[in-house]
Amino acid sequence: MGHQVTVVLGVIGADVHAVGNRILAYALEQAGLKVINIGVLASQEEFVNAAIETGAKAILVSSLYGHGELDCRGLREKATEAGISDILMYVGGNLVVGKREWHEVEEIYRKMGFDQVYPPGTMPEEAIPQLLKDLGVDGVGGMH
Amino acid sequence: MKGCFLVHLRNMKWDLDEFSAMRKEVLLGWPTGAEVEIQEALGYHKNMPETKIFSDRLAKAEESGVTLTQPRAGVALVTELIELLRYLQDVGGADLLPTTIDSYTRLNRYKEAQTGIEESRTHGRSMLNGFPAVNHGLAACRRVVEAVDVPVQVRHGTPDARLLAEITLAGGFTAFEGGGISYNIPYCKDVSISRSIRDWQYVDRLVGFYAENGVIINREPFGPLTGTLVPPSISNAIAIIEGLLAAEQGVRNISLGYGQCGNLIQDIAALRSLKELAKEYNIRFGYGNVAITTVFHQWMGGFPQDESKAYGVISWGAVTAVLAKATKVIAKTPHEAVGIPTKEANASGILTTRQILNMLRDQSLPETKELNEEIAIIKKETRALIEKALELGEGDLALGTERAFQAGTLDVPFAPSRVSAGKIMPVRDNYGAVRLLDFGNLPMEPDIKDYHREKIAERGRREQREPGFQMVIDDIYAISKGMLVGRPRH
Repeated sequence: MGHQVTVVLGVIGADVHAVGNRILAYALEQAGLKVINIGVLASQEEFVNAAIETGAKAILVSSLYGHGELDCRGLREKATEAGISDILMYVGGNLVVGKREWHEVEEIYRKMGFDQVYPPGTMPEEAIPQLLKDLGVDGVGGMH
Repeated sequence: MKGCFLVHLRNMKWDLDEFSAMRKEVLLGWPTGAEVEIQEALGYHKNMPETKIFSDRLAKAEESGVTLTQPRAGVALVTELIELLRYLQDVGGADLLPTTIDSYTRLNRYKEAQTGIEESRTHGRSMLNGFPAVNHGLAACRRVVEAVDVPVQVRHGTPDARLLAEITLAGGFTAFEGGGISYNIPYCKDVSISRSIRDWQYVDRLVGFYAENGVIINREPFGPLTGTLVPPSISNAIAIIEGLLAAEQGVRNISLGYGQCGNLIQDIAALRSLKELAKEYNIRFGYGNVAITTVFHQWMGGFPQDESKAYGVISWGAVTAVLAKATKVIAKTPHEAVGIPTKEANASGILTTRQILNMLRDQSLPETKELNEEIAIIKKETRALIEKALELGEGDLALGTERAFQAGTLDVPFAPSRVSAGKIMPVRDNYGAVRLLDFGNLPMEPDIKDYHREKIAERGRREQREPGFQMVIDDIYAISKGMLVGRPRH
């Protein structure tokens, strides 16, 4: 068992949706990752600072309340300025106000610099295998 | 500003001079605060037709025994908000309308709300999840209220809603949701209970001032809290406490809310015991003149993505609301799982609800042993929670509430707030009723704990697994996956 890979998890902006955050933290830990959970109401600076301080390999952003577009813009640039330009960035949730085609939403967030974009209702077990692959971690090997 | 003259949190009606001194500061919070002139606002309210006054509409519904419908809705810009509300009134047939406030305003981040307004204008679509009423100001609020024929309520999630209340009430809204506990614990990370209760005492004192001057504003504590497997006694205790704190400041019209858990008997028992116990406590503390109505929130947790399935969830909420004889029901929409709904989807949620309310209005659930047992249990638990808070506060409910959260004798599951101990863990029993797997520090009698334990054990036997966090997670996702009880997946 090598050392654990660290990821930063949080709910961005003025969003207080705490339930999924709690469950994601649990699921990510079950998958063998070290989770730095900065919780709800997290600013871009908090994500970036937490990633730098802990040497995290990924920033996992949740947004459930619709303001994601305003809140997520510039996060990739902030990370680059802070010297962690190659960090993985995932985002998921109800990412826009109103009902829009998913491919449009995905496009908006990919352009912002997110590596993976997940629609509402994605279960942890659907996203975690991709995350482990992107991180170069071989699943739950020896993590239990 | 931080209550310089009120050193200790106390459940006592604010002196008018102290209130007026604080008002001056509150109104300086954003330039639109200068538009508020209370005497002028009182005059505006007194000229309002009765059909647009929330408390009147609720009283009529209560009298005739019908359940009213109300959606949630709010967008960034005034013209678009008016268009949306008119649609929900005319096409959706909403009896009562909301104006849901955006999340930046809820955190008093008016500069960010301003950016949201400007971006919404540029992009031609709402970039905010609600209406930034403080930024728009008093005249814009009145345009909204005047554009529709039914009463309009401010719905939000604001721990410090003092300025929002000043502007929207002067702006002609006749109902205001929230409270010092229910708009703190589920909506904040790090706001103290003493701070939020104090800020809400201000709002209630303002509403009390309107009442003293002949203008009755309806107040509604936010019943569902985190909307995630909240046991009825927890939400009932908090709703009753907030109602009492509001009444002390002079509020005369209160709607107490409860969020659907999903088991019909438990939900009906919860709403009935909420109303009965609230009346009992109001009389005990000398607020017998407060009019109390009830609000039933259709399922507040995760929804199925499929719209047909979502209608099923909405319908089950409507059935429960009408059989529980709620004064109003807050309707969900078939877009719930994917975010903020279109106006068409929002209207269809109301229409679905209305159809069921009408079909069941002359039916009621018979008094059964199970129903009475559930009512007795919920009341016993609720009393235990409130009495403990009173004891910790040495008779003062505001102070007692603060201490109860510190001690964990009041606790809310899945709350983002650090104020809540977060030691309790709810789970469904074999019939879908919400029970407590872990009581944390709740002051429950051993017979109550045994009751919950046995109910949960019964489910564990059926599912051949030990009740634990995985069972809780399964419950949280169950409805969105087409079930009520999160049975093990194989």
